[in-house]
Amino acid sequence: MIGPIAKKNTMSQPSTIPDANRDARLKRIVICAAAGLILLTLGYPATAAAAKKSEATPVPKMRKNDLTPIPDLQKPVSAHSPYQDGDCSVCHQRKDRSDPGMINKPVNELCLDCHDDFAKVMARKSSHVPAKLNCVSCHNPHNARQPHLLVEESETLCLSCHAAISNLVTNAKVKHDALGVDHKCANCHNPHAASVEHLLIRLPFDLCVGCHGKDGVKDHDGKVLANMKQLLTDNSHQHGPVADKDCSACHTPHGGDNFRLLTKEYPAQFYSPYDPKLYALCFDCHEESMVKDPKTTTLTKFRNGDQNLHFVHVNKDERGRTCRACHEVHAARQIHQIRDAVPYGRTGYLLKVNFTQSPTGGSCDRTCHVMRSYTNSVVPLVPPKTEAVPPKSP
Amino acid sequence: MRRLAYLAAGVLLWSLTALAFANIPVGTVVENVLLPALAGGEQHLLSDTNVSVFIFLKPGQEHSNQVMVQITACEKEMAGKPVHWCAVVSDRVPQADVEAQIQASGFTMPVLIDRGDALYGRFGVVLHPVVGITDQDRRLVAYQPFAKVNYRAFIRAQIRHALKEITDEELAAVLKPTAAVLSGEASVARRYFRLAEKQFQSTNYGQALSNLKKSLDKHPTAEACSLQGRILAAQGKSVEAVAVFEAALKLDPQDATALEGIKACKAAK
Repeated sequence: MIGPIAKKNTMSQPSTIPDANRDARLKRIVICAAAGLILLTLGYPATAAAAKKSEATPVPKMRKNDLTPIPDLQKPVSAHSPYQDGDCSVCHQRKDRSDPGMINKPVNELCLDCHDDFAKVMARKSSHVPAKLNCVSCHNPHNARQPHLLVEESETLCLSCHAAISNLVTNAKVKHDALGVDHKCANCHNPHAASVEHLLIRLPFDLCVGCHGKDGVKDHDGKVLANMKQLLTDNSHQHGPVADKDCSACHTPHGGDNFRLLTKEYPAQFYSPYDPKLYALCFDCHEESMVKDPKTTTLTKFRNGDQNLHFVHVNKDERGRTCRACHEVHAARQIHQIRDAVPYGRTGYLLKVNFTQSPTGGSCDRTCHVMRSYTNSVVPLVPPKTEAVPPKSP
Repeated sequence: MRRLAYLAAGVLLWSLTALAFANIPVGTVVENVLLPALAGGEQHLLSDTNVSVFIFLKPGQEHSNQVMVQITACEKEMAGKPVHWCAVVSDRVPQADVEAQIQASGFTMPVLIDRGDALYGRFGVVLHPVVGITDQDRRLVAYQPFAKVNYRAFIRAQIRHALKEITDEELAAVLKPTAAVLSGEASVARRYFRLAEKQFQSTNYGQALSNLKKSLDKHPTAEACSLQGRILAAQGKSVEAVAVFEAALKLDPQDATALEGIKACKAAK
């Protein structure tokens, strides 16, 4: 019987609680404590909980704007045709500019009377809450100092509600210039509705190659970036996320702390002591054991018998080869995105890898080493259990 | 020209090199292996009669956790359909960790244990998380790695396609959704037309004609021409009205307003 306790203010009236209820209360405390201990022991999987939480659609606060018409003297940049025509009765009760009265219908209903194409637009799968509920969250129906009757400069307007993005954009060490040019946020997002999540105009890849599919595009620091469209046309073996057209698997479009706007750490160098933290980006999708286990018959085909050659190349205290030493990140002419050549020495002389694939493995010839071949035998149905060897400390 | 040909070939190649497990291409019949289940006992990876969805997961990994939540929602949406669901996790991950992650994500489908990563190796999974879908004949019909955008829509469409609920074109429409580009000239023209309609109703003919002109300049339609004709007729300008109605009929010979308008103007004469 825990009901009566719940109804009473037990803190202020401890002496009035009957013994039976006190027992029940104690029982409840013990159960709660035990549950807490179990959770602590198991280690509450915060990441899964966070993933679940991130599913919830964030609802930015509705803006309340001053919708008073801007006097002509202040030179408004855009004006709404009905307002410009001076006929207030198109939207209001009366024609009289000095006393137009209330609007004839709820705001969005009124807007869609003329902007009826928006009924179809707003039916798209992903829609912007303010656009759905209240057009005047962003637009002044009379006139404005900004194009498209926007109540504020477009980027400022978006970031006034999207505070987390605002923080990210402001504090990012690595900036994405796309956010500040042309249509700014609307370069990638449709502020009303879209068929792609996050109001994206197109799928991430199609958006990205819109700019990165041209020659001469530079990053924030002026470095010329590859023409991705051309690169992918010339190189048929593509990295999974690239083939799946998901640039956002590895890049964060609003800005970030890692070079090339990578979502997580990834070694920029050719050589690096092995430290799993450095490969956080790769291990987001790839199995870490592929580099940790010296022997395997299942985790990789890059093995000689059961000797794991990924381990041999990468897992070293010094001069471990990083992923980029042998693999192209986006696409390559050869299988597994193996590079044609690797940069060698201070001048970056390109040393051919001379990789050749064979039906049971492959070989690299006259490259970082003399010709060496490997054979990955057929994967046994039930492989023998191997003792996992702890990784070497970096 | 040569550059264009290369580009077209690239696109074609792209579509041909469909995503798949490294060792099991789409179209292959998958062996229905028996694996130990997390809940105890053993369970088959696939169903021999239904569409099967199997997910290679790595509990604790950020993307896998997101997928667990999304797949659970997808499973609920598709409840009652003949779909067999299961997840596969490596026996490297401590069982207690797997159970805790499953509980936290609300994951309800059976979880099978891949001892020594044998299945991982046979499929050539390479990436985590990844979803495979087989049809009633245990043929691999879809391979879907993790995607940060539209993931659930992709999975749902692939399953519905395997169930033959949607066509190839409908699947393609989900996998490559139409671009949500901002309104074009036709939409802007339509707005001026709608405003002119309202102004015509309130006998504000001058402004109605002015807005119709803007509409017609951007995107001429029979509907807008006919409204222009009605306004001119209302102003008593029958000759001009007939000319505009005739222009409307050039755009749409069946335009009822224009046909009636011409009749009315001639009768008024």
